[in-house]
Amino acid sequence: MDINAIATFLLNNLFNQVALLVGIFVAIGLLAQGKGARLTIEGTVRAALGYVILGVGIDVFIGGLIAFQNVVGAAFGITPPTSTNTLSGFLQTSGSAVALIMAGGYLVHLILGRILRTKFVYLTGHLMYWISVVIAVSVYQSVPGANAVQVALFGSVIAGIYWTVQPAIIQRFMKKITGNDNVGFAHTSSLACYLASIFGKYVGDPKKENSETIKLPGWLGLFKDINVSTSLVISLILLASAAAVVIGPADDAVVTGAAGALAWPIWAVVTGLKFAAGIAVLLYGVRLFLAEVVPAFKGISDRVLPGAKPALDVPVVFSYAPTAVMIGFLSSTVVFLAFMLGFGAAGVAAIIPPMIMLFFPGGGAGVFGNAVGGWRGAVLGGSINGAILAVGQALFYPALSGTAPEVATLADPDWYLISAIVMPIADLLKSFFGG
Amino acid sequence: MVEKGVLKVLAVCGVGMGSSLMMKMTIESALKKLGVKAEVTHTDFASMRGMKADLIVGQPMHTDEVPKSAAKAIVSITNLVDVDAAVKRITPALKKLGYIK
Repeated sequence: MDINAIATFLLNNLFNQVALLVGIFVAIGLLAQGKGARLTIEGTVRAALGYVILGVGIDVFIGGLIAFQNVVGAAFGITPPTSTNTLSGFLQTSGSAVALIMAGGYLVHLILGRILRTKFVYLTGHLMYWISVVIAVSVYQSVPGANAVQVALFGSVIAGIYWTVQPAIIQRFMKKITGNDNVGFAHTSSLACYLASIFGKYVGDPKKENSETIKLPGWLGLFKDINVSTSLVISLILLASAAAVVIGPADDAVVTGAAGALAWPIWAVVTGLKFAAGIAVLLYGVRLFLAEVVPAFKGISDRVLPGAKPALDVPVVFSYAPTAVMIGFLSSTVVFLAFMLGFGAAGVAAIIPPMIMLFFPGGGAGVFGNAVGGWRGAVLGGSINGAILAVGQALFYPALSGTAPEVATLADPDWYLISAIVMPIADLLKSFFGG
Repeated sequence: MVEKGVLKVLAVCGVGMGSSLMMKMTIESALKKLGVKAEVTHTDFASMRGMKADLIVGQPMHTDEVPKSAAKAIVSITNLVDVDAAVKRITPALKKLGYIK
């Protein structure tokens, strides 16, 4: 075997089998922490397994998404969007670049933290994964034949800068919520939260009109379980759209063909459940592999940046204003659904309500809005999030059609911003990427 | 210390990914300080219903809705990373359950 054959063998069997690559990274991390044989084996297998489960979830999720786009599109008379690749396909061919960006980006984040003496360490693991996906997708969309090593290098720099800069920018508003400087905010809803903080003060008074003086009906609590809310909302929209197709002028075959032997209303409900199940599986997979990655990252950053404070996932602000969370979520959802109907009626696009992204970033923007503008600020924050998600999805689903359009339906506000910045830069650097 | 089995702790949040993992790490350190042998798992609100635990920890917005029958003790955590605060919060529950004196 010559050297090229060995390199090709390694590339196909190891580097492109991302689950194994992730397993190896985790194994190195666990060994470096001195975890011992049993924990190292357990953790390595869990991480690799988690990555495979994530892929299975994405496949189920995409199946439900396509059914949704077809039926809702038909109800509005819109041709469903076409794409030449899927997130599933993208992660199989380019997933290694994602894993490398995640690891390299963290290194850049730590180096920047040391040099700039920044206050916060980014510890929201699932977003470290998804931001790495978004960056890789954006680069490959601009430069289809890009070289994986260059993508990983460039992506690591962008990811590292984002994880360093985002908590720093939002901190002055974070302090208004927590009342101290002990904990940072590390979440890709920061664009919506920032805008809510800037404009919230013009709509209300944070003291006199504070959201926490309002009592919301208890049944709204069911939306805290995103599995339930996704199933309910997607099933109901599918049911209504399927009814519109069957009763209205659209070709019934779109619904009856997909339903096969099933009665169409039953098909609509079951398809909504399958979509939610796909997301639940996807999340479970991410949880499994992050359970090993995040403690390792935290262990490293505790040593490299001893004085730094943690910057955490969005629910860190939720307990400061739980009612503002619900207000932000509700206004986010209402605004998104209004955009959905508007885009449908105008024949622009068939967008799908992303319940998780309406709840978490919507709730977060609600808390930031409330801190400067009371409950009206929370409504504004949620509405800003709903508008960004609707417009972002309509723009970026087609814009990412050559790589992984489904990312546009899983996105938080910052994802669109990162894509919008990375795509033109990658285009300018075409020769660097060897595309 | 009273000889007890391994304490089973469940850290719960909305999706079972971000906050509950942070809580898991914080609670693990807190239990280490208290000298209690424990197995801490983190999960989402829906999966929690099918799991068994001695102690469930979560942010108030979730612990408010955990059924009383889900665990022997339910404790709210407001600061996800403050180990000393977590020690204070879980100590009464651990005393009640007989894991510490």
